[in-house]
Amino acid sequence: MNQPRDFVIPGPVFCIGLAVFAAIYLALFLSSESQAAILVYMAAGGMVLLLNNMSELKPRLSEAIKGNERLCNRLAVAVVLALTAAFHADHYTLFLIGTILLYIVVVLGLNVQLGFTGVINFSCASFFGIGGYTSAMLLSKTSLPPLLALPLGGVCAAVVGSILLLPVLRTSGHYAALVTMAFALLFRIFLEVNDALGGPQGVPVRSMSLAGWDFGSDLVIGDLQMSFYVSYVLLGLVLLCLAFSFVRRIERSWIGLSLDAVRVDETASACFGVDVARWKITAFTIGNFLSGVAGALYAMMLAYISPANFTFGDSLIFLSILLLGGVGNSWGVVMATAVVVLVPEKFQVIQEYRYLIYSALVLLMIVFRPHGILPRKTRIYRPGEAA
Amino acid sequence: MSERILDCTALTKRFGGLAALNALDIHVDRGEVLGLVGPNGSGKTTFFNVITGIYRPTSGVVTFQGRDISGLPPQRVYHSGIARTFQRSRLCLELSIFDNIMIGNHKRLDLGLWNNIFRRSRFEAQYEEGMERAARLLSALNPDLVARMFRPVGDLPMIDRRRIEICRALVGRPSLLLLDEPSAGMTHDETRQLMDEILNMGSYSDGLTIVLIEHEMNVIRRVTDRCVVLNFGQKLFEGVYDDVVANPVVQEAYLGKDVE
Repeated sequence: MNQPRDFVIPGPVFCIGLAVFAAIYLALFLSSESQAAILVYMAAGGMVLLLNNMSELKPRLSEAIKGNERLCNRLAVAVVLALTAAFHADHYTLFLIGTILLYIVVVLGLNVQLGFTGVINFSCASFFGIGGYTSAMLLSKTSLPPLLALPLGGVCAAVVGSILLLPVLRTSGHYAALVTMAFALLFRIFLEVNDALGGPQGVPVRSMSLAGWDFGSDLVIGDLQMSFYVSYVLLGLVLLCLAFSFVRRIERSWIGLSLDAVRVDETASACFGVDVARWKITAFTIGNFLSGVAGALYAMMLAYISPANFTFGDSLIFLSILLLGGVGNSWGVVMATAVVVLVPEKFQVIQEYRYLIYSALVLLMIVFRPHGILPRKTRIYRPGEAA
Repeated sequence: MSERILDCTALTKRFGGLAALNALDIHVDRGEVLGLVGPNGSGKTTFFNVITGIYRPTSGVVTFQGRDISGLPPQRVYHSGIARTFQRSRLCLELSIFDNIMIGNHKRLDLGLWNNIFRRSRFEAQYEEGMERAARLLSALNPDLVARMFRPVGDLPMIDRRRIEICRALVGRPSLLLLDEPSAGMTHDETRQLMDEILNMGSYSDGLTIVLIEHEMNVIRRVTDRCVVLNFGQKLFEGVYDDVVANPVVQEAYLGKDVE
């Protein structure tokens, strides 16, 4: 009796293989200059995703990822570190990586608001901007340690956001959307007419410095010279890890359950004691806080910010990232942000049509895959628990 | 004389010119099963909505376990010990069975930001307890569901959804359970099965009192101790099942008047 045995690759090996593949793919993508090569990479990436979806590899892969969650988180960090090391002297690529990391933080915040709680927010770029302007003002007008500008940026965004609480609580659906759109426009006009904030020209922002480590100049360690963006990428990565585990823990707790209950059926949840207003306020504030923190660091990385960085259009981009990635799914957010930031930057041909392409993509997603690239699964409360 | 757990006096709810409930006096004794019947639009569900705080009564008083609860918001009514199910089963279809049941356990959950996010050991202890509770309830209704605790409710057939709704209502150990047409969307056999299960659940929550809205008269006959018949928001008749069906006024409300 010689039964052919199924050769099973152990889960951790699967995950490491996936991470190595992702790292190599991203490195190739980021380093290539020619438009033809970029197009080939994009097509190849799309094909791999499609094949994976159809093959029998997919259930095994998702099993492996689910069973080794901690490992996967660490591998994702390792991939970013490896890319940073590989591109340590390349300003532009590092800037893109830093942008992706901070955008992910913003969209995670939006995910808490819209994805978990169903509170619509068309002005998250404004809260991102409030964080940015807070850090610009704090660093130029006070001698506070720059690191403090990050939490303070978040607090400012959350506090300003509380002006919107009343209208957001009293409206729903389209009307709540209109309220936040109006806020986004008001914010832009406020910045443009306010000379203390630099008006339409914007303001310079001093760079981050941490206990003598100046983020504004290139890093030199021995013979190795690294771009100053390396510092921002590292700090951005720390920030993202904190935000990610924060949002994860919210999701896997009674708070996440209450937020979901509010989104799905306000009346029924109220009959079981769920305090609808409290959770909407909590979610809105947490989301704005995360946007503000990310904005504070983003402003320092840009070194110069103006109202044009935080427009209504940017809010739409954040929203479309969430829709593409899978509303409610944190890993989906990570993937979709990378796609939405990188593709137009690298594939310059579409740069001018980026909004057109985003809108088309969002429409296609809503029609054909309404739950996004990575649809949200039912909640588990502890890593690795069977569904 | 038995103790009154719920006592409504002159309860009125108007929507513009329409009196959905008109000076209604209803009481429920502790431990009984009260059937609430009446033609469509007679105000049965409105009665539930007013008691549970979804609607504020226009006038009148609702006393529950000696406390005036009229006009309280739904959250406070829930905390005072009243749980309900909905006519159109209002479960969160995309959430798991466990999540849906835990929503009903809200009053026992620690909702502090700090404890949920930073003191996970505390959360985990509550989580274990919740799992145990949910598993115990589910195994009384349908043991197969225990193994599928993290599957979305939307995948389940109607009778299982009803069961989960019952679990959601019972997990908080209410003193009064309001059931709004539990038989809707199910076959006769399923309804019979479910009602037996619900009556057995009485032992889970000691001294459970039930108010049941139901069109299925077989169910009413089998399970209720007493019935109240509503028509146009007013109490038409009150008594045991046999008297209800024999009463000419009730027959007229349902079937119309005989031609003389």
